[in-house]
This record gives sequence, structure tokens and C-alpha cells, in this order.
Amino acid sequence: MNTIYALFPVLIIVAASLLVMILEVFLKREDRSYLAYISLLFLIAAAAGCVKFWDKGYSYFDGNLSLSNLSLFFCFILIIATFLVILISMKYLTLQNANYGEYYVLLLFALSGMIIMVSSSDLIVIFLGLEVLSLSSYALAGLRREDEKSNEAAVKYFLLGSFASAFLVFGIAFLYGATQATAIPSIVEGLQSGSSFGTLGLVGLGLVVIGFGFKVAVVPFHMWTPDVYQGAPTPITAFFSVGPKAVGFAVLLRIFIPYFKDALESQLMFGLLWIIAAITMIAGNLIALRQTNVKRILAYSSIAHAGYLMVAILAQDTQSLVFYLTAYLFMNIGAFAAVIALGKKDHEYLELEDYKGIGFRYPWIGATFAVFLISLAGFPPTGGFLAKFYVFSAAVRQGLVSLVIIGVLASLVSVFYYLRIIIYMYMKEPSYDVEINIDNPSLFLALFLCLYGVLQLGIFPGNILVLISQAVAALPF
Amino acid sequence: MAHFLFFLLAIICIASVLGMIISKDQAYTALFLIVAFVCMGGLFGLLEAPFIAAVQIIIYAGAIMILFIFVVMMINLRKGVGPEKKKWTMYFAVVIAAVLVVELVLTLKGTLEPISSAALESLGSPTDLGRLLFTKYLYPFEITSILIIAALVGAIVLVKKRDKE
Repeated sequence: MNTIYALFPVLIIVAASLLVMILEVFLKREDRSYLAYISLLFLIAAAAGCVKFWDKGYSYFDGNLSLSNLSLFFCFILIIATFLVILISMKYLTLQNANYGEYYVLLLFALSGMIIMVSSSDLIVIFLGLEVLSLSSYALAGLRREDEKSNEAAVKYFLLGSFASAFLVFGIAFLYGATQATAIPSIVEGLQSGSSFGTLGLVGLGLVVIGFGFKVAVVPFHMWTPDVYQGAPTPITAFFSVGPKAVGFAVLLRIFIPYFKDALESQLMFGLLWIIAAITMIAGNLIALRQTNVKRILAYSSIAHAGYLMVAILAQDTQSLVFYLTAYLFMNIGAFAAVIALGKKDHEYLELEDYKGIGFRYPWIGATFAVFLISLAGFPPTGGFLAKFYVFSAAVRQGLVSLVIIGVLASLVSVFYYLRIIIYMYMKEPSYDVEINIDNPSLFLALFLCLYGVLQLGIFPGNILVLISQAVAALPF
Repeated sequence: MAHFLFFLLAIICIASVLGMIISKDQAYTALFLIVAFVCMGGLFGLLEAPFIAAVQIIIYAGAIMILFIFVVMMINLRKGVGPEKKKWTMYFAVVIAAVLVVELVLTLKGTLEPISSAALESLGSPTDLGRLLFTKYLYPFEITSILIIAALVGAIVLVKKRDKE
């Protein structure tokens, strides 16, 4: 239905960020946490909107903006992700000397960009949404201005991100040249009809894959990830590891799942993505073995997870992809929340050495962190296990046995570095005291919510699976 | 008249690009580049694409050039650092230039006949572009406003002075 209500989720997020921007001027430095509460309220309103629009199929601007169930589901999990990120950053910002009101403004702008991306199937709109997301992200990465690493992260992200955007625009231009369309369904149709511009279209698709491959951090476009993840403020790292990845895959899914339906036309791209998926899983996990900084370990782990998600795209199984992204959201933000919990004024504990004996000194943080790591490694009874199980079984059904074997072997390797953190936490004697600030209620709320999410998805995934299958039922988008 | 203007602009354009490459002084290089951009704008105007002509002058000769000059000023690079002269870069450049020439010839082949003015009539007229921008492309156009404000906020937060603790 064509109605202006379809604008509600985007508009409310933009309104929230503008309001926060204005209020920031009038609030004293100590009162900045009100900005967080206001943002959270608006996020709840936007989430409620998403729930209310379920099954309504609202659209506007001639379908440039269309809230299909799948779009709404993505909007919803992105809003949850931002909600959790704001919860884990409230105290962090004062502790780590980065208490700018603009933090929330930029975070909400990034969210609005992501919502724009997932609720459209027009590549121009998607590109603009991606730019809104990226520009806010560059600034967020460099928010700790006194910190050299944070500056390095911002510059690196900005330079490489601009390159990736350029590749993406170039690809969109090629696709337009080949199919005279910017809407994804017409592009896919045009490519499958086997026009004389076949090569042009393939080049375009390849460039689009490079552009998004950068954003979702798959090998070989992952070089920026560890440095940016390490340098950015930790809550922002949590955000980067979930948000851009989810929207990147949401767009890749819209393009490639219909495109792969025609196996003959898409052989080349299929092979290309197959190779990307395989080397991402292998390289991500192997390099993670050598890291000693927890943020870097999690960075490489997120690269490896992008590989598993790519397997879901190749298996042409939207349901398992969406489930994986949902589970990944909770376990990854949870893991970063636990890392943030281990911090005090002007200092964060990020080296593996710091984690010796944490499990006994701070039993709750240690235990929840261990659960998230187990989930990331893919053990039952957590969401991470089921997510991997669904993706790999969908891939086997699709006949991608060798890719699944690579995936399973790679995740066996990953068990080593996840368990290594747990071993440090529980089986090593601390050589020095780790003092942390535990007066941080919002962070513990976030930890609890993530723990709940991981276990709910792992033990009773039924409700979520029903929702996802409803969302996917409306295909093609 | 049109022919005369075309050759005039083309010659000035090529001359200033040559000047830009040959000149050692960074500031002169930038100025030559402006002249080249303005001539390009004029050429677009001759092709009855007034909007592109205006954009060429406003954005390239205006905004982008100012950025160039700012950078030249800030890093105080009056005398440019000469590029490292290696044999293989030279050969590489020759190969790429040859490829470009071939590409140009292939593109021009068959398109050299004068294009009928009927085809040109509505090419990039500001009215049509404006109408498209506010109808078909309204949503992307509005998103651009969010994009700009996000960029502004991001830039300001990274450079503004810190308030006292």
C-alpha cells in the first residue's frame, strides 16, 4: 500500500538525532546521559512502528521505500543493535573521555542510513543510505581524538571506505549501462535475460561485490578491519561488527539470491563468491590464532563470520542467513559488552594477559563472556550453534559439500582462539591486579539482554524462526 | 560561430593542460587546471548541456579547486617533489596512454557524424533535471540532506576544540 506512514521508521530516527543535536547545546556536560535516554525512547518508538507495520506491506515514493516483512525484520534487529550499543556506551563515554553529545547523533544517523538501505531495492537509494552510514561511521571511529589509534582508525576507514564507495558507484553505473535500471529486481531480470551486454553486467556485479565486500569485511577486502576495530571506541567496534555487516548482507541477499536462481547465467559470479567465502573462513580464523589483543581477535572472528554468512548466500537460503545475523548480533555485541565491562577510568583491559583469573575475580562478567565466546565458536545450547547448523545444512542441501567441509574445519580452528580466552580467564593465575569500574548498570542490562538473546535463540528458536519464515515468505521482496 | 568557439576553447583547454603538466610551481599548476576546467565547461555549453556546464564550473573550478589550493597552501609545497623517474613507470605510462588512444579511436569511430539537434534538445536542461529531482528522485534527493548533515556533524565533532573538563 502506498502510504506516507512508510516513512515513519526513518523519520523518527532522523528526528531523534536532530533533537539530540539541539538538546546537546542546552545540557551541561554531566547531564549528557539524558541524551542517551532520549535516543533509547525514540528507538523504542521506531521498533514499535516496525512491529505495527508487520504484514502491512507499506511503501512510498513509487516503491523506492518499501517496508516488506523482510525489511521490517532487518530494521528491527538493527534498532535492537543500536539500542544495545547505546546501553553499553553510556558509562564508557565518561570513563574513556569521549563524552560528546554528537556520539548519539552520529549513531542515530548511521542507523537511519542502515534503515534506508534495508527498506529499498533501488541501488541509488541503497548507495545514499550506505553513504549516510559510512560518513557517520568514519567520524565515530575517530571519536577518541587524543588516542593515536583512534585517529589512525578514522583515517584508514575513511580512505578505504571512500575507495569502496567509488567501486560501488562504478558498479552501479555499469549495471545501469547493461540493464537500463537501478532497481534490483529489474537489474536481475535484465542480467538473466542474457542481453548482449552480458560482460558489462558481470563487471558491474563484480564491482558491487567489491564495494559491499569491503563493508562486510570479507577476505580479500578485509585489510582495514583489525586496525579500525582496534582503534575505534569499543562500543563503536561492536556497532561496526554488526550493523554494516547486517545491511551489507541484506543487500547482497536481494541481489544474489534471485540472481543465482538461474544457475547457468550466474556460474561465474557463483564461483567468485564461492572462493571469497572459502578464503574468508580460512584466513579469518587462521590469522585470529596469532592475535593477543582481544579486540583484534574479535575483529578476525567477525571476518570469519562474514565467511559463514557468505555460505548462506551461496546456499540461497534467506532464512538461515537472517537467523545467523540475528544470533550473531546478540553474541557479538555481548562479547564486546563484556570487554567494555573490563575497564576503568581512562583505561581498558584489552590484552589477553589482562584476562588471567578474571573468571574468578569477576564471576558474572567472566561467565557471560564465556557464554558469548562459546556461542561464537558454535557450541550448543547457544544461538551460535543453531545458526551455524542451519547455514551449513542449507548449504549441504544445495550440494555445496566441499564448501561446508571447509567451513566446519575453519570453525574447528576457531574453537581454539575462543577457548584460549576462556582458558586465560579460568585457568591462569593473574600476575597483577585488574581493577575495574563495576558501577555500570546499563552495561549489565545490555549484557543480560544479549545473554537472554543468545540462549533464547539457542534453546527456543521456534518463535523467531516463525517470524523469519513469515518475513521470507513475501519473496521476492 | 560555434565552430570558432569550439576550436578556441579546445586550443586553450589543451594548452592549459599542457601548461599544468609542464609547470613546476604548484600554484601555477592549480591555476592552469582552473582554466582547463572553465574551457571544459564552455565546451559542455556548446553541446547544449547548460546544466553540466554550470556544474563543471561551479563544482570543479569552484569547490574542488579551492580544496586543491588549500592543500597546496597547508603543506606549503611551492616546488613540487619530482616524481621518481623509473624506467618501468615510463614504459607503463606509454602502454596505458596507447590503450587510451585506442579506446578513444574506437569510441569515436562511427560517431563522428554531426548529431541531429533534435536528439540534443532536452539533454541535461536544468528544468528537466529539476523536475526529475523533485518527482522520480525525490526520495534519494531528500536522503542527500541527511547525508550532508551527517557529514557536517561528523566533520565538526572531529575538529572542534574540546570544552574544559
